[in-house]
Amino acid sequence: MCDTAKIELILKNLDEINEKLDKIIENNNHNHNHNNNDISEKEDDHGHTLDVMTLLTLPEHLRTTATALFELGTATADSVAEITKKERAVESNYLNQLVRMGHVKKQRLGRKVYFLVDDK
Amino acid sequence: MSRTIAIHSSKGGTGKTSLALNLAGSYVSSGKKVCLMDMDSKGPSLHSFFNVTPNNYFNEYLRGAISIHETLTNIDLDRSGQKGELYVAFSDPEIGAIREFSTMDRKWQTKILKRLINAKKDLEGLGIDIIILDTSPGVEFGSVNAVAVSDFVLVTVKPNKICIQSIEQVINGIYRMLGKECAIIENMCPESKDHYCSLSNTNLEVPILESILCRCDISTLVCKEIITLQRPEHPYSKSVFRIRDKLDSHLNLD
Repeated sequence: MCDTAKIELILKNLDEINEKLDKIIENNNHNHNHNNNDISEKEDDHGHTLDVMTLLTLPEHLRTTATALFELGTATADSVAEITKKERAVESNYLNQLVRMGHVKKQRLGRKVYFLVDDK
Repeated sequence: MSRTIAIHSSKGGTGKTSLALNLAGSYVSSGKKVCLMDMDSKGPSLHSFFNVTPNNYFNEYLRGAISIHETLTNIDLDRSGQKGELYVAFSDPEIGAIREFSTMDRKWQTKILKRLINAKKDLEGLGIDIIILDTSPGVEFGSVNAVAVSDFVLVTVKPNKICIQSIEQVINGIYRMLGKECAIIENMCPESKDHYCSLSNTNLEVPILESILCRCDISTLVCKEIITLQRPEHPYSKSVFRIRDKLDSHLNLD
């Protein structure tokens, strides 16, 4: 197998690992919310709101990711990575951090995972 | 591709609205299609200048009730024989609307930011070349949202100690944090540099695009006309034209 083919195979495997990690995080969040219903209801105020003042308090890497997501509306990690010029896996990690912080919502449509700033 | 310029200041009374109007006029005189937006929902003022009652206020768009093009009022500039066009989105001056927008919660502010981003895209689709956001002074949701959606921030400063001390905070704490390019306009400067506290003596590392001299006639003229359109030879107009030309090179509009 030539080098290019090897690299493509590695990238394909990394993408699959990322998808599996996304699913694990998604399931964990679901279970966490299910087990902590009371806590979630209490936290469901404006503490998680990603308004512009909250954006300013985020560390630079998350602020860049969140700003790109604001621009895009609903987006995959790939589209965010295109704007921020970072690796898709890195952006996926940052976006999932924002999901865990309650700032961003995550939706799975078929094989793709979409993120959007939560304003509900 | 359209460009968005936010005109902001850390303190009130620094000449933001006058600069917004006249910068809009300067772009119209160079043949551009300009949209001037009153982003000062707590202290709107553009309606007083133009003395018009628009079909819809910009507030309705922010509420999600109408599209952005329904908020635009085309200002009739025929008599001045200009090549460009000027559209204005007015903020509702009624006290009820001001109260409502002053008490909106943070979820609402997130929605507003999203709508402003969409407004920019829609205005570009309508062929607008330049969007000028006339903001409220200081650090509050309305002005920071405007800065967040802009491509460039023009910060107006009066050359006195109070203004200069507060400007550093907005530059480092807001503009830079949001990754915005910015430049300073020193406004209402006394004729002699010996008598004022110039920003050129500070270490802000932000370009000063222009120092506009204080003249008694400006405060009268800015209330009744767009000086850059009616009096292009006036020293204030010349200052604004220089600002426009420098902005063009910052925004790659040359």
